[in-house]
Amino acid sequence: MAQYETILLKNMEQPGYSGSLEDYERAGGYQALRKVLKDMQPDQVIEEVKKSSLRGRGGAGFPTGVKWGFIPKDHPGPKYLCCNADESEPGTFKDRQLMERDPHQMLEGMAITCFAIGAETSYVYIRGEFRLGAKILEKAVQEAKAAGYLGENVLGTGRTINIFVHAGAGAYICGEETALLESLEGKRGQPRFKPPFPATHGLYQKPTVVNNVETMANIPHIMNKGGEWFAGIGSPPKSCGTRIFCLSGHVNRPGNYEVPMGMPFREFIYDVGGGMRSDKPLKAFIPGGASAPFLTPEHLDVKMDFEAVAMAGSMLGSGGVTVMEEGTSMVWAALRLMEFFYHESCGKCTPCREGSSWLTQILQRIWNKQGRQGDLDLLDELCKNIAGRTICAFGEAEVGPIQSTLKYFRHEYEELIREAEATRPQSKEIPVFTH
Amino acid sequence: MPTPSTTTETVTLTIDGQTATVPKGTLVIEAARQVGVMVPHFCYHPKLTPDANCRMCLVEIEKMPRLQTSCSTQATEGMVVKSSSSVQAQEARKMVLDFILANHPLDCPVCDQGGRCDLQDFSHEYTATSSRFQELKRVFPKEYFSPLIETQMNRCVQCMRCVRYCDQIMDVKALAPTGRGTLTEIKAFGAHELDCEFCGGCVQICPVGAITSRLSMYEFRPWMLKRTDSVCGYCGDGCQITFQTKDNALIEINSTQGSGRNNGDLCARGYFGYHVSEHPDRLTLPLIRKGDEFQSVQWEEALELVGQQLLDVKAKYGADAIGGLISGRCTNEDIYVFQKFMRGVVGTNRIDSSARYGHLNGVHALQRVQGTHRWSVSFEDIESADTLLLVGTNITETNPITGLKVKEAVKRRGAKLITIEALNPAIGSISNIVNLAQQHLGVKPTGFSTAILGLLKAVVEQSILDAELQGKAPAYFNAISARLQALSWDAIFAQTGLASDLFTEAAQVFGQGKKVVVLVGPGVLRSEGGFGMTMNLMDLLLITGKLTNPGCGLAPLAEENNDQGAFEMGGTGAVLPGGTSLGDPAVRENLSKAWGRPIPDTPGSSLPQLIEDAQQGKLKALFVVGENPLASLPPSSGIHSALEKLDFLVCQELFLTETAQKAHVVLPACSYAEKDGTFTNTEGHIQSVRTAIDMVGESRPDWEIFSALSVMMNNPMEYGDVKEIGKEIRNLLPGTRTLGPAPLPAQPDSSAIARYVTTDYQRDIAPRYQLPVNDAATDEITLQVSQSLFHSGKFSRKAKGLLQVEATGKIYLHPEEAARRGISDGDMVKVSNSLGEVLTPVGLRERIPQGVATFPEHFDEEIRQLLPYKVDPETQVPYYKLARVHLKKVVGS
Repeated sequence: MAQYETILLKNMEQPGYSGSLEDYERAGGYQALRKVLKDMQPDQVIEEVKKSSLRGRGGAGFPTGVKWGFIPKDHPGPKYLCCNADESEPGTFKDRQLMERDPHQMLEGMAITCFAIGAETSYVYIRGEFRLGAKILEKAVQEAKAAGYLGENVLGTGRTINIFVHAGAGAYICGEETALLESLEGKRGQPRFKPPFPATHGLYQKPTVVNNVETMANIPHIMNKGGEWFAGIGSPPKSCGTRIFCLSGHVNRPGNYEVPMGMPFREFIYDVGGGMRSDKPLKAFIPGGASAPFLTPEHLDVKMDFEAVAMAGSMLGSGGVTVMEEGTSMVWAALRLMEFFYHESCGKCTPCREGSSWLTQILQRIWNKQGRQGDLDLLDELCKNIAGRTICAFGEAEVGPIQSTLKYFRHEYEELIREAEATRPQSKEIPVFTH
Repeated sequence: MPTPSTTTETVTLTIDGQTATVPKGTLVIEAARQVGVMVPHFCYHPKLTPDANCRMCLVEIEKMPRLQTSCSTQATEGMVVKSSSSVQAQEARKMVLDFILANHPLDCPVCDQGGRCDLQDFSHEYTATSSRFQELKRVFPKEYFSPLIETQMNRCVQCMRCVRYCDQIMDVKALAPTGRGTLTEIKAFGAHELDCEFCGGCVQICPVGAITSRLSMYEFRPWMLKRTDSVCGYCGDGCQITFQTKDNALIEINSTQGSGRNNGDLCARGYFGYHVSEHPDRLTLPLIRKGDEFQSVQWEEALELVGQQLLDVKAKYGADAIGGLISGRCTNEDIYVFQKFMRGVVGTNRIDSSARYGHLNGVHALQRVQGTHRWSVSFEDIESADTLLLVGTNITETNPITGLKVKEAVKRRGAKLITIEALNPAIGSISNIVNLAQQHLGVKPTGFSTAILGLLKAVVEQSILDAELQGKAPAYFNAISARLQALSWDAIFAQTGLASDLFTEAAQVFGQGKKVVVLVGPGVLRSEGGFGMTMNLMDLLLITGKLTNPGCGLAPLAEENNDQGAFEMGGTGAVLPGGTSLGDPAVRENLSKAWGRPIPDTPGSSLPQLIEDAQQGKLKALFVVGENPLASLPPSSGIHSALEKLDFLVCQELFLTETAQKAHVVLPACSYAEKDGTFTNTEGHIQSVRTAIDMVGESRPDWEIFSALSVMMNNPMEYGDVKEIGKEIRNLLPGTRTLGPAPLPAQPDSSAIARYVTTDYQRDIAPRYQLPVNDAATDEITLQVSQSLFHSGKFSRKAKGLLQVEATGKIYLHPEEAARRGISDGDMVKVSNSLGEVLTPVGLRERIPQGVATFPEHFDEEIRQLLPYKVDPETQVPYYKLARVHLKKVVGS
């Protein structure tokens, strides 16, 4: 396997690296924060991040510097930074490692971000199940505070930067940025309609930046080595830097791998991930978390950058690459994902709430060989009327697996329905309705 | 926000080919409505902030990539919107309905909403007759929700209107969605049955049949109902209500969004309290006392007897041996004809009304200082005020809909709220206005007077004074500041427990206000020194230069629906119709000319005076209309012996009340649901009351009975119908037309103000600016007999719906106060003082301050024997709501 120079995982790859403040400082940690506070103006920090072309690592890939730039400069009263650590996308497990193994890297990034956008208070909204991560982060915050990197007088500059760790309560939707804000405010975790956007009306209706853990972890490195350095890595001009891709499924070496963006999936799955676990060939893969539509072997040469994957009809999303070998039922795979989305639909918007239950029940029927003629047309139509008709992107996400499997593997559905039709008793009697 | 910004800037857009010009900030769905394009929707409601969750109102907007929800999109210049003309939008709506119907049970035949259901209507408009959904519907198990409100969650479309209404409008937050996705259901907030204000707002706002009223369950189909628009007969807020009747039976009450002073919002009394008129105990025939028994008689016999008796008493003892008392629940027309009957036919000015119980304190203060007997502000001014001061209102329970105006101002429009209330900021099952206060001065019910003086002192110390008026009337300012300087902060602290900086902060907030409304409630108006306190609040507005500014003023809250009308119609002895003085010969002469009968020049008298005179044998006969002084006043007032001494007591009533049981003749009157007329609400807005059901039994409208009596007494005042009375009143008093939707409030009269600040203030400034004597012993507790949200006087105890929520009296204490005394929830306690002792159960409420106990006045049969009685020297208002008592747990309870 070829070796790639890592940025985010570099510290933890060192033997004996514990993630403590001492270790982090020894590895050059908090130098970026010192430099920023000493030598730079907030605008210069934002400019540097814009130069780096860093894009959000949570899923949507919005340019980070541009997002920061939307925060009104002259706003009186508080502004907030929220670090989205509600990593819940099936097949995605990178943020967890970043938080558990090198928490200060992301905290330093958050402190720099707070300086850049003028926030004094920031929150880490961490997935409720990440008990360990929350504990580690909490400890790291205390360490950083004691060392003067956080708190009321950061590094003697008189500037206040506080970070609070807040655990979620187990809802996938709270990873959606506005649902996260609602939840953080103590309300029911459901997305808000936009506009207004969090940049002007975020947490407690104040200007707010919401950034992913991995995005935050990149910031100290960009500050240390410059935006141009970062922009030169990966697949410039639009997908720069490295990314931690989470490889799972029927491969030999599942795990987190930090590679430069733009690497073809083939290289990632076969070289980095050691290829398929058995002699069965690859049948399909999810390129960017459960919300991303399936791709097939013909897409193996697609580059792992935002544009290329979008061109191929899916999205790079959260970076969770799930590989399925020949023999896997795509109907079952779609059903499995649909059940997840049904369970997690928050219920706010009608099409997603009702549609997720409807789609799940149809898929269950088809899988249980009780499919009917016309089911596939109905699936098509339901999907079309869910995607784009909801407040948040969950609508698009939940229909992705169905639409893509219908596109590439329609015959598998048809086969199950044919079987059902063939075995169905051809009774002329009026069916009795029972529950 | 549904309310567009106040700028006059407009935008022009096209909707389905029609051009609409609307204020900037208007939502597309509202702009469409203005040009007659109805965009279907479930979750949108003009009262609520948009939530955009139902996705029914999707429209196509040119240059926007996908369909937009018109409820959350603001109209912009040149926007081109396609609603029904967009195939894409129409298809999307069809599909949204398909989605909703997937889990909707289609139990329309047994659903009370059937016939007025948005889902039904849109389904007819948009969808095919069969659903493509052939899977299993989710089914929620049936759960008991509350005694008055029923839920059927299978029908819910998860639009969250009810939850948002309960939070945004009512500030109660009793409802919450639980569960996720299709398993989302609306539940009471907490693991218990619904315990809330029972305003019925969730029932009214539900677009489907998910939340319905248990009082009318399965009794009707909407198309069977006859609508009668009228006005609520409980408190002074004067809410528009629509009686929905079927076969002459009251089925339910609604209120229409956009109409009435309440804009469609109601409270428990208005929404669930409508069964009074149909109570089986209603009197149906006149009654005449024969020994200890009553005998039913025909009208002729009863009227003849009453007429003859009144004539006899007049002949024997003179007209002033006859007194009259009328309820502020009667219509303006009833009250007007009553006082005309008493003055013009009987020949006495000795009449009074329930406005005497406290509302007069407010009206007299307004009249004395600003020369108006009405508010100089309206509900709209409360909503648009930037600073509000509430003193002794307990507004949620006394005047809940005026309370909503305060909530609107504070919650939605950012007004600053200062409260001087005998309430703790605490979350409870009903909303608590002091939770919204920026400056809360919490006092005991005996502390209002001192707290008002404290605020005045802080205003003077901070020099938040109107320099212009000070230049014109230096003596007035000097007199006030000299007296305030003589009060020490230590003494104020000793009586209120509030330090001077709290008053200073509140004074600063008050001083910064440009549009300031001061609301005064029963805590002030019905407590000892009520008139003085109200006057001091007028002083506060005057010296800070607010009183004459537009949008500013004092707003005393009326407890009964027509307290204000009772005053304006001449229902209080010394005041003639129009609030004019009986003592003015010119006024008397004009009126007697108009009436064609002389008006006696003898003085009018108040209820306390009538009681005193009856006890001394000077008053021989009393005509009581709709009032029940035996149940309203405590024994310490002497009302029992007063009534005993009368030669003749006639009661005109709906029910055989405590007072009516002592009467010689009882005349059956009909209720507000059975007659036409007008009520004047607390802000001076006159509104029409209309007949919803037939008169019960032989009962008659009050005015008709007075008219018939005048005929019996050979001095006929004949009216063909109530409109003739209305016409007579309007000709006499030009200001009493039923006004449009937004009346202009009265303007303060500068000559009255000038008179007040130059000489008139001197009359009573000394007693008003003194701290009350504080005789608190440590183990005593202040008992306040007060209004409950769920009742109105004793009248509402005949409403079966309200009795489901509150049917008995309890003494309520703060949990810590109770714990300190070893008392727990539900214990029996002995409440005692020098006047007597009473056993009552205990309830706990965090909103009640420590050192205070409250008891609902509606159930005070026993506890009122502990209440001392005092009469205001200036306004003759009787004070009897507060007592100092000892509490002792009854062992073994």
